[in-house]
Amino acid sequence: MNFEEIEHTADRAFRVSGRDLPDLLVNAARAMHALEGIHSAGEPSATQDLEVEGIDAESLLVNWLNEILFVEQQHQVVCERFQIREVNGFHLCARIETRKCADHQSEIKAVTFHNLKVRETSAGLEAEVVVDV
Amino acid sequence: MLSKENFTRLGNYVWEIPRAFREDMRVPARLYADEELLDAALTDNSLAQLVNTATLPGIIGYAIAMPDIHQGYGFPIGGVVATRLPGGVISPGGVGYDINCGVRVLISEASVEAVSPYLKDLAASIYANCPSGVGSHGHLHLSNAELDRVLHEGSRWMLDNGCALREDLDRTEEFGRIPGADACFVSDRARERGRSQLGTLGAGNHFIEVDKVAEVFDEGVAARLGIYAGNVAVQIHCGSRGFGHQVCEDYVSRFQKTVQDYGITLPDRELVCAPFDSKEGQEYFHAMACAANFAFANRQLLTHMIRKSFDQTLADKVKNYELHQVYDIAHNMAKIEEHQINNHQVRVCVHRKGATRAFGPGSPVLPSDLRDLGQPVLIPGSMGTASYVLLGTREAMRQSFGSTCHGAGRVMSRAKAKKTIRGTELREQLEARGIIVCAGSMSGLAEEAPQAYKDVSRVVEVVHKLGIGRKTAKLEPVAVVKG
Repeated sequence: MNFEEIEHTADRAFRVSGRDLPDLLVNAARAMHALEGIHSAGEPSATQDLEVEGIDAESLLVNWLNEILFVEQQHQVVCERFQIREVNGFHLCARIETRKCADHQSEIKAVTFHNLKVRETSAGLEAEVVVDV
Repeated sequence: MLSKENFTRLGNYVWEIPRAFREDMRVPARLYADEELLDAALTDNSLAQLVNTATLPGIIGYAIAMPDIHQGYGFPIGGVVATRLPGGVISPGGVGYDINCGVRVLISEASVEAVSPYLKDLAASIYANCPSGVGSHGHLHLSNAELDRVLHEGSRWMLDNGCALREDLDRTEEFGRIPGADACFVSDRARERGRSQLGTLGAGNHFIEVDKVAEVFDEGVAARLGIYAGNVAVQIHCGSRGFGHQVCEDYVSRFQKTVQDYGITLPDRELVCAPFDSKEGQEYFHAMACAANFAFANRQLLTHMIRKSFDQTLADKVKNYELHQVYDIAHNMAKIEEHQINNHQVRVCVHRKGATRAFGPGSPVLPSDLRDLGQPVLIPGSMGTASYVLLGTREAMRQSFGSTCHGAGRVMSRAKAKKTIRGTELREQLEARGIIVCAGSMSGLAEEAPQAYKDVSRVVEVVHKLGIGRKTAKLEPVAVVKG
């Protein structure tokens, strides 16, 4: 498993790892879904292209996760698959595949920068993310 | 990791971390707590977060944490930071994502005894009339132009549209409208998230309660507020919903670059900020004020729906059931205020994150009929436990930038609460105590179990003994409505 939940008194948090930045980003999206109790439940029915920008790896990660939250909440969908097509500096292009989920309501309201640091490890990259619920 | 040895005890309930503790601290950090609450605070990262807030540019006096302190992100929950103006910063993280999360208390002349035969129906009616739960949608469908009017006018919009009494605005902090709101600085995404959520409760620790006034500590003062032992009260705890969250998210993200532009170094990126008088600082303030007004309007519309529930359930059955507002307070906000510091009147930006304004007697910003008493302060307890009405004091003005605690403060993570507590069992326990529960989510209920929180009575006792909040009345729940 590339992620695990970690304790936080009032909100929720997870530790996530990846081979490289694109892998970290995809695993972080999956970690966020795991926190929400979302499991893959079927074939996606739509695709959407996303472009997200940051000033560094940390802001790219936060902005990416917040973008996914927004798409899911506003369009009442769940993202089933994530494909990072390009990461150019701290600008990413991605394609997400979604399925309709009218009764999905995420308790996660925002992803924070609290204590966020994308660190290099022997296996790639790691970060700890705190989310606001 | 901090330990008790890092603190200097300045009094029974005042503990200070000196500025010399860490090189980047600009002022000392102070915790208001008894020893047991200090021990609890040492078990998470909240005190390290308090130390971090002492590094904010322009901070004046000391960084403060209230006895309900617990770990947040950036600021601890229960944190108060004042920055000197001009020159000092404003920090979106110092306000929080739920901008103007706050509490409103309403009071009735009817006794709980008279209402109790209809309480189940009343709770069900409130649950039906007040949409709750994650992502809940309200009954209003607003155009962009109308939404912008709500953002500028707050509770006044509700008054103009038949959803408020004049007295409600008089008994709301800032009279239900923060000046300086400018929707030009709010993103379309915030509008999209907030448009359908006006008049909704949300989930998490947000709730509506029907309470009994269980105890009155000062009968004369309580009577001035319309509070009498045995009578019905109603509490509303909620904020600016997805709208406020998006405003915070937008500016925390934007300020990641802003701090670099202004050469500001911080120990935690969630503390990002801008000089208050800068273009960026002002734009955040204008947007924050919009979110604050959204929250005032939200609690006002919920009040309107609750009054409708009372009408539907109690009309012709119970006399004098009508609800009158005691007060409405914010506990996540940044306010521009003047305070006496070292015998000088100083203009400051006071960030209260999980802390409540508690202005003392004589403050000109209070409604004229309460000015001699001080500002009512509303402290919700954890579910099933007591809540309190306090009054602000001159001592709060002297010690804590006119601030006091906001609630019970968590001691257990949501994840642990869900693992160790069953929501259905908790509901049964509450119902066995005579508390009616209308809740949309059993896991949500478990997260809010009283054992996940500190003892609110202990927290309130500390602020009362410190003199930064004067106990006036205690409320106990008879019905709980949550998402």
